[in-house]
Amino acid sequence: MEQKDKLFKEIFDSNSKKIFHLCYGYTGDTDAANDLLQETFLKVWQNLDKFRNKSLISTWIYRIAVNTCLTYLRSEKRQAKDELTENIIENKIEEFSEKNEQVALLYQCISKLEENDRLIITMVLDELPYHEIADISGISEGNLRVKIHRIKQKLTELYNQYASV
Amino acid sequence: MQAFDQIQELWQKHEVEVKFSADEMLQQAKKEVNGLKFKSALNIIGMAASFIAIAALWIFFHFDSWTTHVGISITIITIGVYTLILYRDYRLIVKTDFTAHPQEYLNNLKTYQLNRYKLYNSLYWFYMVALSTGIIFYFIEILSHFNLIQKIIAIGLTFLWILFCSTILRRAVIKREKERIALLIEKFERISGQISAPEKF
Repeated sequence: MEQKDKLFKEIFDSNSKKIFHLCYGYTGDTDAANDLLQETFLKVWQNLDKFRNKSLISTWIYRIAVNTCLTYLRSEKRQAKDELTENIIENKIEEFSEKNEQVALLYQCISKLEENDRLIITMVLDELPYHEIADISGISEGNLRVKIHRIKQKLTELYNQYASV
Repeated sequence: MQAFDQIQELWQKHEVEVKFSADEMLQQAKKEVNGLKFKSALNIIGMAASFIAIAALWIFFHFDSWTTHVGISITIITIGVYTLILYRDYRLIVKTDFTAHPQEYLNNLKTYQLNRYKLYNSLYWFYMVALSTGIIFYFIEILSHFNLIQKIIAIGLTFLWILFCSTILRRAVIKREKERIALLIEKFERISGQISAPEKF
């Protein structure tokens, strides 16, 4: 048990920031991102013994996080919150607009993307290798490249459109 | 006009801060579960306290009529049986550590939910009838020492209290508990599912 605790702490310390960033990019809300981070690592903790080193541990955790994000907002309880995601982000802008208007705008633009696209672009922004993103999302690498190209374009367009307003 | 590279740079510059450690995260999760355990334990303590109080009444006071002894016996047996039922349910949620055996914990939680539903519905009416019968027997001797007004007040207040517990209080408790357990089940179901297989985007 002690060994499991130690291993878990190491895994948490080296991955939690990236996973939080993914969750935050997906929801645009700190509280929701914290909930998702907690759920993701609870799953990691519970299934640590089942991890078989077939993939990188970070890939495995990302996969859990992505599934957690998708399920979280789809569940009935969170539907209302889902609909509010954009509002949350828009409200947040006021909170940290003075500090970093551009970052706020970026989160707002991400929130305009489709659910799945939001997750993919977050991983791209975090520079995850394409083969890993393909593995996490269950899309072939060829299709993923096309998809990423399209999402990148859309995000850039959205960003420039909002920045010029 | 910004290019994607600049957007990416912006993203990476934005430092996010995880506000809790691995230990705190597990603690926080345990806290939610402990909330349910605590409420369940409080229920048992309350029932056990009633049991002791009535037993003390029986031991330290002298009653002449057999009806009083029958009344106290019915009441004390009813409370004892229900305390045991509550304890059996409590055991369900404390015997498994959800961080170690999530599926078993989830199954127990569902059984607990079902048991609580029975407890607040069909079983509750048995409890109420038994308790009322006990009180009626108990009152036969006790009320004979009271004058008419005192009798009316004692019967009236007891009746109102039973009515309040069976309606407003019972409904509020059912609603609150149902929400709390359902939320936990929902959370654990989410946690238990979808570990290895990625969803197709």
